[in-house]
Amino acid sequence: MESKVKIISVGNPLYGDDGIGKAVLDELMQSNSIPSANYYDAATDALSILDEFEMDSLNIIVDAAKMGKAPGTVVHFKSKQAKTIIQWDHLSLHGFGLAETFALAKQLDKLPEKVVVVGVEPESIGISEGISETVIKTIPEIKKNIKLEVESYEYTKNNINH
Amino acid sequence: MKKDLNINVHHLTRVEGHGNIVVNMKEGRLEKARLEIVEAPRYFEAMLKGRSFHEAAIITSRICGICSLGHQITSLKATEAALGLDISKQTLLLRKLLIDGATMQSNVLHAYFLAAPDLLGAGSVFPLIKTHKEVVVRALRMKKLANDIGDIVSGRAVHPITPVPGGFTKIPSEKELIEFKRRLEEEAIPDVLETVDTIKTLASEIPPFTRETEYISLRNENEYAFYGGDICSSDTGCVPDTEYLSMTNEFVVKHSSSKHAKHNRSSFMVGALARWNNNYDKLDPKLKQIGLDLGLTTPCYNPYMNTVAQVVEVGHCVFEAIAIIDELLSDGLKDEKPNQTPTRFGTGIGSTEVPRGILYHEYTYDNQGRIVKANCIIPTGQNLENIDDDMVKLVPEIITKSKEEITLHLEMLVRAYDPCISCSVHMVDVEFIE
Repeated sequence: MESKVKIISVGNPLYGDDGIGKAVLDELMQSNSIPSANYYDAATDALSILDEFEMDSLNIIVDAAKMGKAPGTVVHFKSKQAKTIIQWDHLSLHGFGLAETFALAKQLDKLPEKVVVVGVEPESIGISEGISETVIKTIPEIKKNIKLEVESYEYTKNNINH
Repeated sequence: MKKDLNINVHHLTRVEGHGNIVVNMKEGRLEKARLEIVEAPRYFEAMLKGRSFHEAAIITSRICGICSLGHQITSLKATEAALGLDISKQTLLLRKLLIDGATMQSNVLHAYFLAAPDLLGAGSVFPLIKTHKEVVVRALRMKKLANDIGDIVSGRAVHPITPVPGGFTKIPSEKELIEFKRRLEEEAIPDVLETVDTIKTLASEIPPFTRETEYISLRNENEYAFYGGDICSSDTGCVPDTEYLSMTNEFVVKHSSSKHAKHNRSSFMVGALARWNNNYDKLDPKLKQIGLDLGLTTPCYNPYMNTVAQVVEVGHCVFEAIAIIDELLSDGLKDEKPNQTPTRFGTGIGSTEVPRGILYHEYTYDNQGRIVKANCIIPTGQNLENIDDDMVKLVPEIITKSKEEITLHLEMLVRAYDPCISCSVHMVDVEFIE
């Protein structure tokens, strides 16, 4: 059976804008706007993504990311365009966050060729439920961009196969 | 010999959250040796205020990524005690199965990824992928299996869905349990045995430091206590968990944003080593022998051996999970509705042995079933004073070593406690290649 596109969220909704990944995932699932996708919420266990990657398909990860940009800035980046800094001391699951997961996956040959990280610059990260207005406003754009990523991937794949 | 020594490890790595190790010795006199906790307090209790009894466990399960199951179960127990909700034997067994999975996962991660690199002279787990790939792959396989227990029994491994006050909204099928038992027997047991072999080869690298302290854990006469029991001190004996405040005695120190705790002495230890010391007699004979072969003694006063006790507990959790599945299958799975009809509204306490020690939740509900008061005491806070006391004894004993060696010994000491200083904020720092 053909591998489906995988859309993954990372983050903790109890920490303000860190919940952006799950918020996007929930909306995509509810609207079923990408029927060809499978979804996975890694929550605070980024390491679990190792077992969720679709090796032969497109993987899109949505997470709050500190990029030094204005709050609410959305950036799509691929592993070759950005290097995620291995910085143990502020990452979750006792040292294992997204950066470490990528590094492990790469060394264990478990990093798919096609991974896109959708990073959202947060406004506030701290104990609070709910996402800031600035970051909430980015959700339609993120959904639209993810849909475009998937369409572009599927178009390319179909044209190569046929 | 008089010596000056200044150590300041800013943001200790391979622990959860932000902590600094600070040591100051002047002319051979130790002025300071302590773990400073610099994170802002989190005030989860405030977030619980006004919440209905349906919500408390959902919120607290998100306090921490790796301890989410422990918080959830403890929260459910506190709510059930406060509202007079009884649970069935099936619910109890499924919850114990979940705790076994969560303990396996946490202990495996700590032993392999956080503690083992020190024993192998590596700065992190990454160099080990080149030198010990099969060990890293085994660790990930064990973590996955432990996660799968959570997926099957609670809907998902992190931040579980199906456990609710009074029971479960959905239970695993007989087929899923049979298949999982097969994996435990055919995959987990061999992996545990190989883990023991790996740790055995590293045991000589564990520092020989000892300091007798007070060990506090839950104790249950029927089993090696994780789910529940009385609170037992190696110094003073046991009390029911309703008296937890008399055992924790939290106090504020200037160098830590987390409260410290003490009981009979200036400090006490909770966690795997405390459980080994207090509940050794409740372990399976095979696991007792494994522990002794790995260098644990009864009792054991070396805090660095906490990691070894965690490995023994991984074996215990696998054995117990198999036994629980057998019991569930032999009783027959029942389609039960969660018991969510309160028989009273008052105060309830939940206490559970989570990987790092005893976790306490206490809630008081009003007659609408809403929380008016909450208190959560986490294991790491209980261990902080003990870590400081260890450092004060350790530094003079290793003072002839180089500053780098002393620093490493102190870092390893703190990591041995597997502290969970902060909770889960997943952020990734991104540096773009121009």
